[in-house]
Amino acid sequence: MAVKDILLYPHPMLKVVCTPVEQLDDEVDALIQDLIDTMVAAGHSVGVAAPQIGITRRVVVADVSHSKLGRNANHGLLTMINPAIIEQEGCTLSREGCMSVPDYTGNVTRAESVVVQFLDRDGSKRVIHANGFEAIALQHEIDHLDGLLFLDRVSSLKTDLFRRKKR
Amino acid sequence: MNYFALTIIGRDHPGIVAKVTETLFHLGCNIADSSCTILGGQFAMILILSNPGMHDQKDFETTFAPLEADGLSVFLRKLQPGGETAPEIEGEICMISVYGSDKPGIVYPVAKELGDRQINITDLNTKLVGSAQNPVYVMMIEAVLPAGLDIEELSSVLNRLKKDLQVDISVRTITPVEL
Repeated sequence: MAVKDILLYPHPMLKVVCTPVEQLDDEVDALIQDLIDTMVAAGHSVGVAAPQIGITRRVVVADVSHSKLGRNANHGLLTMINPAIIEQEGCTLSREGCMSVPDYTGNVTRAESVVVQFLDRDGSKRVIHANGFEAIALQHEIDHLDGLLFLDRVSSLKTDLFRRKKR
Repeated sequence: MNYFALTIIGRDHPGIVAKVTETLFHLGCNIADSSCTILGGQFAMILILSNPGMHDQKDFETTFAPLEADGLSVFLRKLQPGGETAPEIEGEICMISVYGSDKPGIVYPVAKELGDRQINITDLNTKLVGSAQNPVYVMMIEAVLPAGLDIEELSSVLNRLKKDLQVDISVRTITPVEL
């Protein structure tokens, strides 16, 4: 319905813990459509969380199927209301950036696979097992719902290649 | 706004950053980009500063004398206009690991192959590790490939070097993901 502007840090809404959606109504459906439209309009984007367009409710959309990294393992377009990571496994490092934090990337460690429980757009309860890039994208988007940016998760300096260890 | 490059190095100990930044704060200097790390037993700081009131190196006069007196070496240079903005480097980012028994002439041959192909090194760290009997040299390079050069081509060049230098080299792409 509408492509929204992506809020940029330091916009305060990006640091808010978002409120759960209590009931699926037209407003929530419109929000989901706005998130999809915004994600698609951003071209390269693989996910958008509601706070990134100024709505502090627990809704994200993600779709890694069009990106090189996610092409081979994905669930297509995901519309998630009140998503919760109920299991996670493994550990993987990737260099993340975020549309809300332009011109900066950092190395972030995340779970390699996650099980996410959520309500779908039609109100059905779903549980999916996401791997690889899709798992990374979902963790990143769900973090937005808790006011967390990838900056809060950076695990090492880009240039810190030689870990200092105690002898 | 005038920009300056400040380099400071000295025997590492706690409190260097506090002392340096206290001086800069009182001077009214903004720290734009900076990178500081321990190299050997030294703490090395490289900072890009801006200061609306300072026009010239001379304006800093003897500001850094107390730092020098503390055993830090301080070097300041004024940047040419525009020198503070990074050029847009488009291209595939790759990570190159080079490691092997230490010997003279590891860095240069690798850097030359990259330079000859217009491959832009954006980060380079080297470290001497291993034991005194078996020193091992490790070099990590992050670089941006120019358009038209793919990672396979770079790999084959580096594979040749690997044999010549008797070191291990591997290359992989880094794909920053915007989420």
